[in-house]
Amino acid sequence: MPRSLIQTLHPVRWWLATALVLLAGYADLVRGGVTVAPLLLVTSYCVLAPIAILRR
Amino acid sequence: MLRSSHSPHSVSAADLRPSYLAAGIAAACVFALYLVTLAPTSALWDASEYIAAAYVLGIPHPPGNPFFVLVGNVAAHLPLPGTTPAMRVNMLAALSSAVAAGMWFLVTERVLAGWLPRRWQRITGGALAALVGATAFTVWNQSVVNEKVYTVSLALFAIVSWLVVRWCDDPDAPMADRLLVLAAFLVGLGYANHPAGLLPVPALGIAVLARRPRTLLRWRLLLACGAALVLGLTPFATQPIRAAYHPAINEGEPTACTDGFAWRCTLSAETWQRFRANVDREQYGKPPLLERQAPLTAQVAMWWMYFEWQWLRDAYVEHPTLQTALAVAFLALGVLGGWAHWRRDRRSFWFFGPLVLTLSLGLVIYLNFRYGWSQAPALGGSVPREVRDRDYFFLWSFSSWSVWVALGIVVCWRALARRLAPDGDLARRRPWLLAAPLLLVALVPLLGNRTQAPRWRETLAPDFAHDLLNSVEPYGILITAGDNDTFPLWYAQEVEGVRRDVTVAVTSLLNTDWYARGLLRRPVYEYDADSGPAIYRDTRWPRPTRPVLALSIPEADAIPPYVRLTEPQLFREGRVEALVDPRNLRYGALERADLLVLRMIRDNAGTRAVHFSSTMGDYPDRLGLGPWLVTQGLARRLAGDSLPPSRDMIEIPGQGVMDVARTRALWDDVFRGPEAIVRRGEWVDRASSGIALNYVIGGATLGIALGLRGDTAAARTAIERARRVADASRTSDLVRLDALLPPPALPSDAPPRGEVPVRQPPTDAP
Repeated sequence: MPRSLIQTLHPVRWWLATALVLLAGYADLVRGGVTVAPLLLVTSYCVLAPIAILRR
Repeated sequence: MLRSSHSPHSVSAADLRPSYLAAGIAAACVFALYLVTLAPTSALWDASEYIAAAYVLGIPHPPGNPFFVLVGNVAAHLPLPGTTPAMRVNMLAALSSAVAAGMWFLVTERVLAGWLPRRWQRITGGALAALVGATAFTVWNQSVVNEKVYTVSLALFAIVSWLVVRWCDDPDAPMADRLLVLAAFLVGLGYANHPAGLLPVPALGIAVLARRPRTLLRWRLLLACGAALVLGLTPFATQPIRAAYHPAINEGEPTACTDGFAWRCTLSAETWQRFRANVDREQYGKPPLLERQAPLTAQVAMWWMYFEWQWLRDAYVEHPTLQTALAVAFLALGVLGGWAHWRRDRRSFWFFGPLVLTLSLGLVIYLNFRYGWSQAPALGGSVPREVRDRDYFFLWSFSSWSVWVALGIVVCWRALARRLAPDGDLARRRPWLLAAPLLLVALVPLLGNRTQAPRWRETLAPDFAHDLLNSVEPYGILITAGDNDTFPLWYAQEVEGVRRDVTVAVTSLLNTDWYARGLLRRPVYEYDADSGPAIYRDTRWPRPTRPVLALSIPEADAIPPYVRLTEPQLFREGRVEALVDPRNLRYGALERADLLVLRMIRDNAGTRAVHFSSTMGDYPDRLGLGPWLVTQGLARRLAGDSLPPSRDMIEIPGQGVMDVARTRALWDDVFRGPEAIVRRGEWVDRASSGIALNYVIGGATLGIALGLRGDTAAARTAIERARRVADASRTSDLVRLDALLPPPALPSDAPPRGEVPVRQPPTDAP
């Protein structure tokens, strides 16, 4: 059976981690950071977000 | 139990488990091949721009490719011992293509799951796809240097393909929805990497319609996919933020902020307008699709020419028949594999077939290229041409084609095994092994491209940049023309820290508004005499205190796109008197770039020397500046103040005046490019051979000058050196160096040594 949207978007904790790391990355970028910001953003886009999407 | 659409036998669920370990090993082997043949540094064309932009977290040319910049930045700064930033970004390209090879392995293995009963047979098929796809010329050549963003796109395409193929297996599986959501996210990231990231979408839509059309009615799933797509697009938000800090490479300048980030200017209409212009690539003004830049047949022929390159790169047309025969064979194998795919696994075909079509014919139609640089040479300049060969745009096409080639090889393998089996029984291993030599056909691209695809001996781009920058006096301005005489300089300055005191001004970008603003913001970097050439050490070089243009930003913005001239005009600055004749100008007008070049000459009189790269051709002559130029290494210096006649100033017919002492010192003690060209020994990309030719002509001209000065031995050495460069770069047919050996004797009517005058400027200006 196809899963519902709510089930699809679980678990929230990975999404929270994705959102927090993404926000931290953008916050550092906004203040002019060029070292930590890309690291956080790449971690969020390439690792956390795919995990958040795939994890049940 | 699952049953393939046309398979005579059923396949157990256990059999359908992907061989991730084998795919990982295949990808690791491909990665190892790429590492062995990896470029040790940057390269010509856009490689230097993209490596430098990633390194400084800047913005490369529109649309700016923000996802690549982020990933490239992280790669460039990884603490890998014994590597340079350029090598690490090149390794990113290698890793991306290796991941793609692993994905094609899995796709191929999956297609074979409903067809070949033994896992080892399917693994063999997957390995064939990985090998063929990884060693196709353009894939290999683009994976050993990070020229642009295409290998990252390739990895994303291949991952999306694998996700969709898995979804097609069972759209009702517990994970199926998540696979679609992840695919949507990766498509978004792909678009943030390059607009081509959307290319898998039509195939994805067709697959959904064919396999489970009611998916399109599930609005919550669609909403989740939409949200994931938008999340994938968010790297674009980095552009206005970073642009506000005005990094060294800030193309398009998508910000209205003038002094660092602020919410007010970032969220302004002006930032939005500049950001949109960047993303929409307004700077390039490409015509609509219906307005073809070349006949569609010619555009398809261009794709075919590049397809021919994939299996045997024959840059100098030495084996054209063999090349075409191999291309026909690999086309046939691919068609056979596609047909087998359609017959054997219709579920995944509904995605992969449209994908291959999109990445080949669809891309040809969408890209709407002019004639290829190497295409139809008989037509010469009678047709509009691309400035270089664009085979890299079809990298995805050739890479994905490998899946069908592998399937085609497997069809032949199976047929031969059946013939070799005494009773036609394919259950036994022996007939398969007897037929296995047929699989060696997958080695053709590896062998055919083994000399021309690798880049491990390529160092010319940074060497050329080093040579050109050191041809410029400390704090000088260097006027350049475009990609190949500019991007390597950006790389050398911003990544390797070479001669940052030199201000590079590229005329092709001076016509935009943002580039002049960037020049105004550029700091004046201290000249490092210790690492600079010895010829500049015995002079004191005061550090300028202001930018190269004495303009405010509003004044720079107010410079018009062009000023039409109705009659010759005299430009005068100090002793320089240049007659600007509209008949010598493109469109009979001074373009914004020309106005800014003249302005730089005026604003820096007595403080900075202005040099024109020798790659500029007759550009300074068309501005009437030719009589005031002195060749110095790879640049021509505007000698406005004084040019005392001396033994070192030799006028060469047709070439102008050369500062022989400086030029010889640069060639003998500083230049690295000639040795880099000879070391590489095989110039594959003919469109960029102008850089090598530049050295050939420069060396030959130095030889002539030394001959005119009576220094026969040195002249012979210089010309021999030029000849070695010409031979290595295959430009011997363009320059008659033999005519220069032995060097010409000093003509009897030549002025006495030490009294060679500079050509006189015109005096009859209106």
